[in-house]
Amino acid sequence: MTDLSSHSARSHLKRRNRHQTMIKGFGMAAIGFAALMLFILVASLVSSGYKAFTQTHITVEVFVDPAEIKVDRLPRGGFDDVLLASLKTYFPDVSGRADEKALEGIISNGAQFALRDRIVADPSLIGQSVTVTVPVSDPFDQLAKGLVKRDTPEAQRRVSDREIGWFDTLDRADAISQPVNWGLITNTDSRFPELAGLKGALMGSFWALLVCFVISFPLGIGAAIYLEEFAPRNRLSDFIEVNINNLAAVPSVVFGLLALAVFIGWMGLPRSAPLVGGMTLALMTLPTIIIATRAALKAVPPSIREAALGVGASRHQVVFGHVLPLAMPGILTGTIIGLAQALGETAPLLLIGMNAFITSAPDTPFDSATALPTQIFIWADSPERGFVSRTSAAILVLLTFLITMNAIAIYLRSKFERKW
Amino acid sequence: MYDAPTPESPVTTETMKFSARNVHVFYNEAEAIKGVDVDILDKTVTAFIGPSGCGKSTFLRCLNRMNDTIAICRVTGDIRLDGQDIYDRSIDPVQLRAKVGMVFQKPNPFPKSIYDNVAYGPRIHGLANTRADLDGIVEKSLRRAALWDEVKDRLDTPGTGLSGGQQQRLCIARAVATQPEVLLMDEPCSALDPIATAQVEELIDELRQEYSVVIVTHSMQQAARVSQKTAFFHLGHLVEFGETSHIFTNPTDERTESYITGRIG
Amino acid sequence: MTTAAFACLFVFSVIGYIWNRQAATAIRRDGARLHSLVGFHGAYSLLVVLVPVLVLILLWLLLQGPVIDLILKSEIAAHLDGFGSGEVQLIVAEIKSVARGVVFGTPEPWKTEAAQYLTALQTRAGQLLLVVVTALSLVLVAFSHRKVSAEFRARHGVERIISGLMIFCSVVAVFVTLGIVASLMVETSRFFAKVSFVEFLFGTNWEPQIPLREDQVAAEGAFGWLPVMLGTLVITVIALVIAVPVGLMSAVYLNEFAPRRFRAVAKPLLEILAGVPTVVYGFFAILVVAPTIRSFGQSLGLDVSPNTALAAGGVMGIMLIPFISSFADDALSAVPQSLRDGALGLGATRAEMMTGVLFPAAIPGIVGGVLLAVSRAIGETMIVVMAAGLIAKMTMNPLDSVTTVTVQIVTLLIGDTSFDNPKTLAAFALGMMLFLVTLMINIFALRIVRKYREAYD
Repeated sequence: MTDLSSHSARSHLKRRNRHQTMIKGFGMAAIGFAALMLFILVASLVSSGYKAFTQTHITVEVFVDPAEIKVDRLPRGGFDDVLLASLKTYFPDVSGRADEKALEGIISNGAQFALRDRIVADPSLIGQSVTVTVPVSDPFDQLAKGLVKRDTPEAQRRVSDREIGWFDTLDRADAISQPVNWGLITNTDSRFPELAGLKGALMGSFWALLVCFVISFPLGIGAAIYLEEFAPRNRLSDFIEVNINNLAAVPSVVFGLLALAVFIGWMGLPRSAPLVGGMTLALMTLPTIIIATRAALKAVPPSIREAALGVGASRHQVVFGHVLPLAMPGILTGTIIGLAQALGETAPLLLIGMNAFITSAPDTPFDSATALPTQIFIWADSPERGFVSRTSAAILVLLTFLITMNAIAIYLRSKFERKW
Repeated sequence: MYDAPTPESPVTTETMKFSARNVHVFYNEAEAIKGVDVDILDKTVTAFIGPSGCGKSTFLRCLNRMNDTIAICRVTGDIRLDGQDIYDRSIDPVQLRAKVGMVFQKPNPFPKSIYDNVAYGPRIHGLANTRADLDGIVEKSLRRAALWDEVKDRLDTPGTGLSGGQQQRLCIARAVATQPEVLLMDEPCSALDPIATAQVEELIDELRQEYSVVIVTHSMQQAARVSQKTAFFHLGHLVEFGETSHIFTNPTDERTESYITGRIG
Repeated sequence: MTTAAFACLFVFSVIGYIWNRQAATAIRRDGARLHSLVGFHGAYSLLVVLVPVLVLILLWLLLQGPVIDLILKSEIAAHLDGFGSGEVQLIVAEIKSVARGVVFGTPEPWKTEAAQYLTALQTRAGQLLLVVVTALSLVLVAFSHRKVSAEFRARHGVERIISGLMIFCSVVAVFVTLGIVASLMVETSRFFAKVSFVEFLFGTNWEPQIPLREDQVAAEGAFGWLPVMLGTLVITVIALVIAVPVGLMSAVYLNEFAPRRFRAVAKPLLEILAGVPTVVYGFFAILVVAPTIRSFGQSLGLDVSPNTALAAGGVMGIMLIPFISSFADDALSAVPQSLRDGALGLGATRAEMMTGVLFPAAIPGIVGGVLLAVSRAIGETMIVVMAAGLIAKMTMNPLDSVTTVTVQIVTLLIGDTSFDNPKTLAAFALGMMLFLVTLMINIFALRIVRKYREAYD
């Protein structure tokens, strides 16, 4: 007779169910761990980076002293002296070379050039008072943002008590403001964190991705169409397929070595150029596009092809006129995802030299440039405290681009892909 | 190939094993089983026949609650094993399935050794305390499946290395190893060649002496050969249920007769 | 000049298209039946002009650099006497920058002359290209025009050309692999001409940055790669210790136990981890992970270096979690439903089915996934460049700082690279080893997955 609820049966069952609960518990713990890591990653980037999205500025009334700045000597002139004089209106008893230098140190080193550019554009300003808003230098920016703590002992602090006193006076006089740091996007790289921006890197990445797309998109689609629709199943096409799959798994640094040896060494292309970067990225994106395109072509049902052939279309006309348009959403999705991966690639670009200190944005793909990920790498290495938050901010910019590109790809896929 | 019913050993006990009343099965909104009442007797082979899609496999899977694994499937009604409602909350289907074994259409031995295949059930249900006990259970099950002599020297070789008929007998041995009381067989011979089919059918008649066997089959000749009781399903209804000889020679319902004579299905 | 060549080519292609198309239309108007549509006649001409000349231009541009270099070097050969190839490269680079108008200090007069000569060469090359392009385009336009007739199978011609282009695209992948192998081998063989093979493979001292005298190629034992390889192994093992259990357990849960909605949220979450660029992971390691490990370890009284293998390996492990999880998930899903039914039918709980039947059946696929993760870990660069050390040490202590193959490749090549310096060549030798090892692992992984997949089919 069956007895499904005897005592011994039940206790054994309990043990088995406990075993199942334990396995489920481990599984959930594993997922929880991964989620926690992701959360910590994002949280630490945001918390260290959000401060870089504002930049402390100082607004002062500057008297453009004609004794220091003469029209015929422009663009040369004592712009820094003029700025110092405007500061001294707040602190008239500051004297002596050392003290004056310290006071001047509140304002960013680049302020004098900003003032110079303004006067060169409008020399009539000489002899008048102008209001300028310029960034403060990095130590004071850190102070204003609370990253330099006032309670650390003075010897270990970057700013002395007296300098803090000056700064607070200026703050009370409403001369200090913290507007949005558009300079992060519009400035090019600089030794000074308060002046450093991503413009050069963004342009460099843009050129590199453009070159990458122009090369890998046609090559990838051409190869995929041939392999999927036209190639006979023989050893040669098997060999090509094996090659493509292997290339997809080659470490990125090896592509950098290839680029160094062939593009820069043998072909003599300019180092640090987005052109070379784009060519290297194209080689890495090619297998991704080929694999995604083949999958998209495979998804189009044979009935479409047979219908077109039945009407008398040639194989080319079937593929290019019928199959390819239907596979396009999948192809574009795969391409966007491939380009997003290329945007984040760093190692090969480092090897071809896109990590130099370059202060102007590239106008053509042939000029030297950095790229967004290599710029992040450079800033991560820089000793100034100000670069820590800027590196996080740059990473957030990069992640925003990646999220946007992936979102577009997913949107394309869900909107246009047809389920046969 | 035999066409006449297999000579049966006289059935001495006819206690009821499964009794099902007013069973309905729904896949989302579609009703697959529409109010079935049936009694399955012990030490008897009961055959479920009917055209494809009539619900016989679905009903079979209700008897060991395999339908629970399908999310969209809903079972209502009363199904009792030895008087106990198997859908009662206190019953864990895991234990039910040790008592009600199942053999599937396509032989599905695990990618393990023959020994481990048969030992899997006893291991998880804790039926053996020592290795010697387990060896005994494995040997007994393989003998009962008429496979022992063929594999006793290669118990460590993979179960997937056997021929189709041997694999199915291995699956039968595996099901028998948990010491069930009922064996459910879902078209067990449809993937086998005629010789293997004959071996399995012979086995079924032996198994009948120990277990209650329910077999779903699309072959009327097979049902006539192996079973004592037959249930004819059509479009989710149990149309007729009775002695096999009666069903096949003098069916009561005209749908049964149409199916038997080949006019439908 | 090159833009002029391209423009010229473009113009001729369009002319060819229009001319042929009109000719074909004319024939049709006269009443004859054309084999191909007029568009195809035009397209035929366009392709016949465009493709060969484009190939010519690209080849020309490719070879222009080296050829001009050769001519320049032979011209100034007298001045180059006695210089090693490294110095020759520097001189040539200097001449090139003078020619571009970037002058540092006052170069010697013969260099300025050489720069002028170089500029003249480049201009002449550009002019020659333009002439050749024009001539060839004219010839091809004329040639294709003669083909226009009613029976001419223009569409076939067009399709054949396009097929040829597509075949070329397919073969590019092979070219790239050949390029990788060839460039690595060339530089590696030049390296082994300077440093002995045995010393590289079995040496335990890696100090390539030590200053080298002019006549001394490498001090004894400076290019032994064992500590570097050991560092790679240590970090890989640490990464796997994190990634494999977490990845497998999450795959087990997601595959069998997770409700549909949970899976729909958790899988994309894991994919996000996979999509984060490695430079971001590297920064995360130096910003958060390494200091945390350091302070935690020091509070326990241990000796922890600022860039531990544990930090780099740990972050790499986090990066690999989704990799292993998705491979394992795929492998588990590939187990046929009949096996699941078989196990459930015997009265197994879902966990028993998973541990007793599904997981063992999926092991080949899982092992393949783990091997591919190993390959990725070995080839990973940015995390280790930022978070691991630069000094090679024969140690297996995770709290020590180690360096890896990829770190060395990057640090040897950042900065000035002249192609004869054994430091540069050492990087290529390391790259060769890296390429070979990852290739073998990948092939092996695919072989395992393929071989055991037949086991239960």
